[in-house]
Amino acid sequence: MALVTVSAIFLRWLPTHGLPILLLFAVSAGAAAGIYFTQRRRYSASSRGIARENVDADITAVLWTACAGVALGGLGIGVVLAG
Amino acid sequence: MTNSEQPGSANTPPSRGKIAERLLPGGEEPDPRFTLANERTFLAWIRTSLALLAGGIAIEAFTADLFLEPVRKGLAVVLLLLGMLLSAGAAVRWLRVERSMRNKAPLPLPLIVPLLAGAGALAAAVVLIFILWR
Repeated sequence: MALVTVSAIFLRWLPTHGLPILLLFAVSAGAAAGIYFTQRRRYSASSRGIARENVDADITAVLWTACAGVALGGLGIGVVLAG
Repeated sequence: MTNSEQPGSANTPPSRGKIAERLLPGGEEPDPRFTLANERTFLAWIRTSLALLAGGIAIEAFTADLFLEPVRKGLAVVLLLLGMLLSAGAAVRWLRVERSMRNKAPLPLPLIVPLLAGAGALAAAVVLIFILWR
């Protein structure tokens, strides 16, 4: 939900900064969609892990989420400095 | 063999992935509550990072008639940069805490806390100076 909100706020930039904003919107909305569509699988994996008292650290999800944040920040700075 | 002891059942831990083997070598799996708590803390930092990103955009988009352009751009860049660093820092902290828990070592100090505090104070000081000077 936070990523969807941020993607909607990015659209506020569209009139002033033009089409590059769509890239920011796509990254943010894509990350939100990725989280939404994989949450059932992650929930099931965590539930099974709790049942056997051994949860695997979901390192891929953590790295992807962090990369999305870094990409959004970097693209945002690029847009601000270019505009 | 009972049903719960069969391979692939709920009691059999799956093999760890290559990335996990490489980034989280050695040690043993910590208590699941701690692993999940570490993930929740990571997600809390990510929410803070997203709030900073949204704040940076809001400053740039909505304060055109309030701040001079260099101040507006500077604040937006500071907030966006902070959001970016916080995202990366949250992942690094998650990794360091997970490693410490696996090896039963003391937890590392949170380096992103002074970063967030310092940059937040800097942004507040810039706004305060601008308001007093205006």
